[in-house]
Amino acid sequence: MNPTQPNPVDYSMWKLMAWTGPIFFIGFFCMWGLLGSNFPPMAANTSAQDMWQHYKDLQTPIMIGMSVCMVLGSCYMTFGAAVSRVMRRIEGGEGMLANIEMTGATITYCPIVVACGIWLTIALQIDVLSPEMVQTLYYLGWMIVDLAYMVTSWQIIAAAIVFLRDKRAKPLVPAWVCWWGFVTVASFFPVSLIPFFKTGPFAFHGMFNFWIAFPTWYIWIVSMSVFIIKAVNRIEIEDGAASPSAVREQSGSLIGAR
Amino acid sequence: MSTSPAVATRRLPGVEGVWVFVLADMCFFGVLFVSFMQERIKQGALFETARHTLNPDFGGINTLILLTSSWFVVLAVDAAKRDRLATIPKLLLAAMLCGIAFGISKAIEYGGKLAAGITPMSNDFYMFYFSLTGIHLLHVIGGCVMLTVFWLKARRGEFDSRNMKVLESGATYWHMVDLLWIFLFPLLYLLR
Amino acid sequence: MALLTKPATLVWLFLMAATCVTTWGLSKDQFTASVATLSIILIAAIKVRLVLLHFMELRHAPLPWRLLLEAWVLVVTGAIAGFYLHAAPVA
Repeated sequence: MNPTQPNPVDYSMWKLMAWTGPIFFIGFFCMWGLLGSNFPPMAANTSAQDMWQHYKDLQTPIMIGMSVCMVLGSCYMTFGAAVSRVMRRIEGGEGMLANIEMTGATITYCPIVVACGIWLTIALQIDVLSPEMVQTLYYLGWMIVDLAYMVTSWQIIAAAIVFLRDKRAKPLVPAWVCWWGFVTVASFFPVSLIPFFKTGPFAFHGMFNFWIAFPTWYIWIVSMSVFIIKAVNRIEIEDGAASPSAVREQSGSLIGAR
Repeated sequence: MSTSPAVATRRLPGVEGVWVFVLADMCFFGVLFVSFMQERIKQGALFETARHTLNPDFGGINTLILLTSSWFVVLAVDAAKRDRLATIPKLLLAAMLCGIAFGISKAIEYGGKLAAGITPMSNDFYMFYFSLTGIHLLHVIGGCVMLTVFWLKARRGEFDSRNMKVLESGATYWHMVDLLWIFLFPLLYLLR
Repeated sequence: MALLTKPATLVWLFLMAATCVTTWGLSKDQFTASVATLSIILIAAIKVRLVLLHFMELRHAPLPWRLLLEAWVLVVTGAIAGFYLHAAPVA
């Protein structure tokens, strides 16, 4: 074995990590949205007493939904790692944007896990909490998860810039997905208004800040997942690693090139 | 009048991605316009009273400013198509200064409202007024930064008839900012 | 002055004039509220369409893109006018 042979790329692990994207978005749709009764989310102008009743009535489904989401949320980090690796192929090893994407995806998990933990605790402790306490904690979750948008924005911007720079005739991630990333970032900024409104489009359950900002991001995650899964397959073929004989040829030529 | 060679084939100015962005952004504003109209039905009297505290002179002059800015950008793209390299930076600078004038006028207008004790929290009309014009103003500020970068690039001669994708993409964005204000202004200031 | 005969310049002059009409003409009280308002909405729609076709060069764009953006104008104008008519004008 030649000692200068580069470490083999673990395509199977890479593909597995790319598939954690769909696990994240399907899991959240079912567990947070459907089981956790967040389609639509309980409105910001709901009275404290009604909020208490909501958690009392839905105690078990919310506890299951939120606790599963706290676990599944980590898939956003592993998915981010897969995206980062694809970006590195375009950016080169010294690229900074791949790091920003990876870190952005990882930190995005933090507000998600904290907010879901808070909503879980409300359901868990509903019998000893006052309605005002329920309302406060419910708001706390929303403020944390929504106002953390900028860290996710950095992740999305970094990915968009790098994939737009892809020189391939058919880019790994098409330009429209990158531009949809910019659309997502633009839709996030009005989220800064949520502390100030309990009704209207800019409340956290409102037309804009829920029904536009979240689906826009969701579409980005779904489309990015699809193209990252495809990209890993394409890179594997580009590397000639799809068949074992091609691998030998490829690594031989790599060594020869040194 | 000479026909531009670009006319011969159907083409979208700039990169296609910027049109994805522009269309999505326009749809966001469309949703906000509809939200405003829905709320206006529920609180008609309040909206009408509050509307009268807005000065349409500001809105009208701001429309004229943005239209003129857009026109300068159209002329800049046209100058690039005709390789009149020396004219491009002047036109881009003029367009950018119009954007700044819009910002100053908005600052004076906001200042007057805040001095009169009117804030976004006063009522739902002012919530819409400050949020919609504020989100639009962010677009204007972003556009001014973009036009400044373009002005510097144009001074270095980076735009000509063969290198104008970036300029055209930016122009498309800037016209959208103009276009959104054309609807936003009557919606907030003039409907009665 | 070739500048003044360019189509874009003529469009710009028209847009400026239309803005003056809506801002300082139609907003006056001699027009009834609904006539003035509907004219203002219609003029805004025409202005937006001119910006799309002439400034954003959609005249020469591939048809699907042009239709998409023209549809936006139609839907938004229709929605604003529809909601306006749905609400009883405040006299």
